[in-house]
Amino acid sequence: MFVSLQFRLPPTVTSTPPLKLLPPNAHVPSLSSMSVRHVRRLRLPRLSLRATPQLVVVEDDEERGANGRPHRDGASTEERNLLPPGLRRETMPVHVAVIMDGNRRWAQIRGLPASSGYEAGVRSLRSVVELCCKLGISVLTVFAFSTENWCRPKVEIEFLMDLFGRAVREDLESFLRENIRISVIGNTSKLPNSLQQLIANVEETTKKNFGLQLIVAVSYSGQYDIVQACQRIAMKVKDGVVALDDVNESLIERELETNCTQFPYPDLLIRTSGELRISNFLLWQLAYTELFFSKSLWPDFGEIEFLEALQDFQRRQRRYCGRSLN
Amino acid sequence: MKCSLERKPSHSKDKWSLGMKCRGLTVALLKLVQIGNLVLLLLWHILHFIVSIFYFVLGIARVAESYFISSGFLKKYKSLNLGKLRCLAIVIESEEAYQTLQVIELLQWLGAIGVKSVCLYDKEGVMKKSKQAILGKLNNAVIFEESGENDKLVDHNHMMLEFASFSDGKEAVTKAANLLFMKYLKLNKLAGDQEGQIFTEPHMAEALKAIGCKGADPDLLLVYGPARCHLGFAVWRIRYTEIVHMGPLKSMRYGSLIKAIYKFTMVRQNYGK
Repeated sequence: MFVSLQFRLPPTVTSTPPLKLLPPNAHVPSLSSMSVRHVRRLRLPRLSLRATPQLVVVEDDEERGANGRPHRDGASTEERNLLPPGLRRETMPVHVAVIMDGNRRWAQIRGLPASSGYEAGVRSLRSVVELCCKLGISVLTVFAFSTENWCRPKVEIEFLMDLFGRAVREDLESFLRENIRISVIGNTSKLPNSLQQLIANVEETTKKNFGLQLIVAVSYSGQYDIVQACQRIAMKVKDGVVALDDVNESLIERELETNCTQFPYPDLLIRTSGELRISNFLLWQLAYTELFFSKSLWPDFGEIEFLEALQDFQRRQRRYCGRSLN
Repeated sequence: MKCSLERKPSHSKDKWSLGMKCRGLTVALLKLVQIGNLVLLLLWHILHFIVSIFYFVLGIARVAESYFISSGFLKKYKSLNLGKLRCLAIVIESEEAYQTLQVIELLQWLGAIGVKSVCLYDKEGVMKKSKQAILGKLNNAVIFEESGENDKLVDHNHMMLEFASFSDGKEAVTKAANLLFMKYLKLNKLAGDQEGQIFTEPHMAEALKAIGCKGADPDLLLVYGPARCHLGFAVWRIRYTEIVHMGPLKSMRYGSLIKAIYKFTMVRQNYGK
């Protein structure tokens, strides 16, 4: 009680393991040449003049986040309440979407096969999922495989399908432990039967989890999403469930594949590897989503980069243009 | 008894001196804490100051770079290869879209750079309403609908302008979907279940053209405004569009515009392959 400071210092976490500050693939040999443009540059942490470090804030279990939306995460209340400095609970995004780009380039730079890049990418994903749980983010949607990716070499596609299955099987236990709900969107009919079955099992097993919802977009196309929504509505019109005159944007929105979540519109989209496009991902849903383009390649995207994206999101002036999203 | 009475005054004296010592220690500790507070506060302000200076210098550097680009000192920006930039979209926040003079200036810059096809978008259609005022100030611009579908008709001296708003985005997709629904219901009556053949991406694209949304997919989309989002720009058309946030319209700079276009010309897309 003697230490009553006039301003706040970052909290020290004693009961939970500290958040790792190393990128998820720090064990992989670093680059020999610093002239390669994909090297992640060390950046000064951005500090706003108004930013203050966070104290431990004791909150009720039934506390609601921004826009009155409740927290849905698997972390304990204590873990949720401790935020890294510079982040504020009230402006934390509820739904974060990620385009995980740069795996092959990461491997190429290191002289490794593409498969190593993808495996490193899985480690990055695990790290981000863990962070989302700790920060109280409700939904994380990741773009794992697009319809355009089917044009890649057959060997690469088979490896990716196998990797996806392996990752799901290995992490199922931790999903259950961390209360993570898994949903898969996309045209899964093109996936191997065994993988389709595995996906169905995992979705069923985790459907009652109330923590972070991890939505994995596999064989997904934003245009296809819109078209299949129209197809579903057409069936309902044919069956007399919906009148043709009642078809409007809201009806289409309800039939999109992201209707598997309570919060279908991402607040923040992160794309890694420095590319500045959304590549046919969640075309309808991203209308008012803040876009953050990170120069890091996906396997190098770790805690620091994720927190930087969140801090950047919180700093920006968010204008919904008079429309409520969720 | 006599001894115990004699012991009491010295005992209480000891207690008193102990109490004074403790009080002195507490006061000293409090002073130390206050000094510690002040030192930490000073360090925090110094850190803020350093970071503020850093961003100030960064801002100056950006302005300087923009000036050098505009003046032609930086050679690589002098000649832009615009072959890849078939269509450029400009998204402006509706509040800023009222700044018609700045919009006109931006279009004049684009014309000077050599951009031939521009789609101007704001959610509420402010620029649509100011269409005539904008065209009146531009010497060599034609409206997209008036030039016809075939953009080959546009010669090198003219810039093709398209004005879009929210009604050309999700609303347009809904209208196109209604067109497909009617086609589906009609075919269903004649030939049974046809949803697999009706509801495809190419059919949706055709339906959008049928209702008047004939604009090409923009290669590059520049967002002017405080929010870094595309504000509902035509959702069907931005699959592979490069999106760059340019900041508020009032702070637009010619050099920044050239830099954004230059960077786009250097991009190589795999399209997922």
